[in-house]
Amino acid sequence: MALKATAYLRRYWQLYALLVLPVSYFILFKYGPMYGIIIAFKDFNFFQGINGSEWIGFEGFREVFAMPDFYKTLRNTLMLNFFDLLVSFPAPLILAIMLYELKFAWFKKLSQTILYIPHFISWVIIGGIVYQVFGTQSGMINNLITAMGFEAIPFLTDKNDWLITYLGVGVWQSAGWGTIIYLAALTGINRELFEAADVDGASRMRKIWSITLPSLKPTIVTLLIINLGHMIAIGFERPYIIGNTAVRDYSDVLSTFVYRMGIESGQYTLATVVGLFQAVVGLVFVLGSNYASKKLTDQSIL
Amino acid sequence: MEKASKGKKKTLALAALTLASTMLFSACSSNGNANVNGNSAGKGDGAAGKPVTLKVEVFDRGNAPAGSTITDNYLTKFVQDNFGTPNNINVEFVPIPRSEEVQKLNVLMASGSDVPDIVFTYDSGTFYRYAQQGGLTELGALLDEHGPNLKKFLGEETIAYGQYEGKQYALPARRAHLGKYSSFIRQDWLDKLGLPVPTTTEELYTTLKAFKEKDPGETGGKVIPLGMALAPAQYEPLIWSFIQPHSEEERYTLTQQLGSRDYPTLLPGFKDALQFMNKVYNEGLMSADFSLDEDKKKLNEDAANGLVGFFSEDDMNPFYADGLYATLQKNIPDAKLSAVDVYSNSEGKHPKPEYAPVGLYLMIPKSSERAVEAIKYLDWMASGDNLLYIQNGVEGENYTLQNGIPVMKADATEEAKNRLFNAGDMGLISNGKQLGDTEKNVEAYVYGMPEAFHEETRRALTVSRSDTIKPVRFDRPIEAQGKYGTGLLDKFHEIIVKTTMVKPDQFEATYEAAMKDYMANGGQAILDERKEAYAAMSK
Repeated sequence: MALKATAYLRRYWQLYALLVLPVSYFILFKYGPMYGIIIAFKDFNFFQGINGSEWIGFEGFREVFAMPDFYKTLRNTLMLNFFDLLVSFPAPLILAIMLYELKFAWFKKLSQTILYIPHFISWVIIGGIVYQVFGTQSGMINNLITAMGFEAIPFLTDKNDWLITYLGVGVWQSAGWGTIIYLAALTGINRELFEAADVDGASRMRKIWSITLPSLKPTIVTLLIINLGHMIAIGFERPYIIGNTAVRDYSDVLSTFVYRMGIESGQYTLATVVGLFQAVVGLVFVLGSNYASKKLTDQSIL
Repeated sequence: MEKASKGKKKTLALAALTLASTMLFSACSSNGNANVNGNSAGKGDGAAGKPVTLKVEVFDRGNAPAGSTITDNYLTKFVQDNFGTPNNINVEFVPIPRSEEVQKLNVLMASGSDVPDIVFTYDSGTFYRYAQQGGLTELGALLDEHGPNLKKFLGEETIAYGQYEGKQYALPARRAHLGKYSSFIRQDWLDKLGLPVPTTTEELYTTLKAFKEKDPGETGGKVIPLGMALAPAQYEPLIWSFIQPHSEEERYTLTQQLGSRDYPTLLPGFKDALQFMNKVYNEGLMSADFSLDEDKKKLNEDAANGLVGFFSEDDMNPFYADGLYATLQKNIPDAKLSAVDVYSNSEGKHPKPEYAPVGLYLMIPKSSERAVEAIKYLDWMASGDNLLYIQNGVEGENYTLQNGIPVMKADATEEAKNRLFNAGDMGLISNGKQLGDTEKNVEAYVYGMPEAFHEETRRALTVSRSDTIKPVRFDRPIEAQGKYGTGLLDKFHEIIVKTTMVKPDQFEATYEAAMKDYMANGGQAILDERKEAYAAMSK
């Protein structure tokens, strides 16, 4: 038995050596910082460090759960993410299928490149562009609308209009990049299926429905699970930059809340509490959706 | 040839200054040396032998001219040659990016090891937090022993701002000019319409309406009679002018300090101010996108393009070379901008807030081993002509003296101008040019502007100093303000934006809801604590 193990290790040690690097990365940068979680249970004083600070148990949690703003930001986070899932999740899928159906290779390449570009633009710059395009008083679109004699639409300052702007900008920024993973999956489809369908006289829509989409199902489910796991986590830059004072009813989310508490006001304990809360609920979401998917479709990532 | 003579002059001036400061220092340190010698001869040897290092924070604005860096330039050399070397101290500067000073400072302080010996921030909340958490060196005794010049320079009122629970934990820099805001109107528009300069808020309203209807600037319907931004310089003068007369107790308890400013959220009249903004906004007299304009960029752009009729701003801001007024005149040669005092209260006065007499809070971290040297450095800066030199450079090369006021030479060489690129950040102990008294300080600002704008600048600086409201100060920090201040400032902005932009018939409900939200998220906690503090203080 012992001999077997040694022989096994001797044979495959290179593979394990390769594994050392990523594992140490995770230990160092992902598990190591988890030590800081105990800040949530301490009255953190950074001159005394994490160890020197006093334990306060769940006092921090009590305080956070008593804050009206916590519930508002929690609701907004879920709301923005839910709508984003409705709009931004199908967008790359549809886009990828459309790209896949394109006939000319050069045109396909060109469109792909153009679609990827927004992904590489920083949110700060996108924020500037959004302001120039959607501003009420001097935005490009509103200039056009008022020139035609209609009333200007407050894209950025009315909360419902803002929500549409926010979602639209999200699609614009991420849809192109999101196609990559679908396009990769699409190349794996057996061409013969299409040929057979052609022989049977299937229409283009029929082929998409019966061949393309079913082949993409594992990819879609995987991405859906990952996305659901992120339901409670929300990027900081997008709501922070696209949002503004007039629409704070919608644009204030957990990440901006944490930023305000932690970085701006120095309330590290409370900020950590919110962060920990987010992580725990996020885990529940991932496990939950994974379980549901396993039950419903027999596909899961764990 | 010319270069050589200039070089000579510079050396001479430097030599003179060195002499002056070393004399001062030898006078200062003779006591200390005597003590040391009395105690042990070995220690005296050490002081003469190995130099110690004093680390001083410096703001990095990324504007160092070619050939120098923020940590190695004309003024840092001046400090080293005149303060460092004579005292056997290596002065090392630690750059911190200006735009993220608090965040970066937090990280430095938390690290504990690499902290500079002198750190600073403009944010009183950050200072209180450090003091409360026990991260700062107490300075009272040190200041008495090593900083007589510094103590005299700062003055009692300013020094008091650096106390926390009766102990001196920071030395606030002294502010040269306390005025904040002035208002500005397009005089040429008034002339064109034959209107007088408005002197009250009511008259202003009529004037704004006239600007809108008659469009004297021929903007093609793009006129913005009242330029607004979501920034204190625009909303503070307006709001404070609506605050009704109130008792001292109300002033203490109903004001809320958010960040570094006092806000009148609960004082009588605040609602009237919002109602006025709502009216003006809904009648199309105010910048439509003001809620997006937190950095005043849009307002500046609109005003420089000649679209704005009236606005309030930091008193000197429009007058800088290549600033708002200069750009406006480039775009519209006939444009004339007048500094005026318009927003008025029920008594016909023009109340507006003024600055606390402090600038940066200078602090020495508890972990620092060079507290004595740090105080000596600041004391050196406060003595003799050192501050004058740091702020203005060399007489004859950088400036000429007119009535005792250093006037910057417009034709100074590029090299001479470059010396002072960081003058504002190196003269730590003062905020603004310090010449002895306020009138002179203000004149120095006037002379700093392009000549054509001198008179208007002077007028704006007079406006900003009249009928001012001093910030309210308790003898102890209000903890709830440190905790909720930043978040509540956002809520305060939300109140303004929501109540201003809502349709007039929904004003009442919106106001109620926004105020309730504000109170629930810390406003009430601050109110309670201030009431308590006031009761304790007036006992």
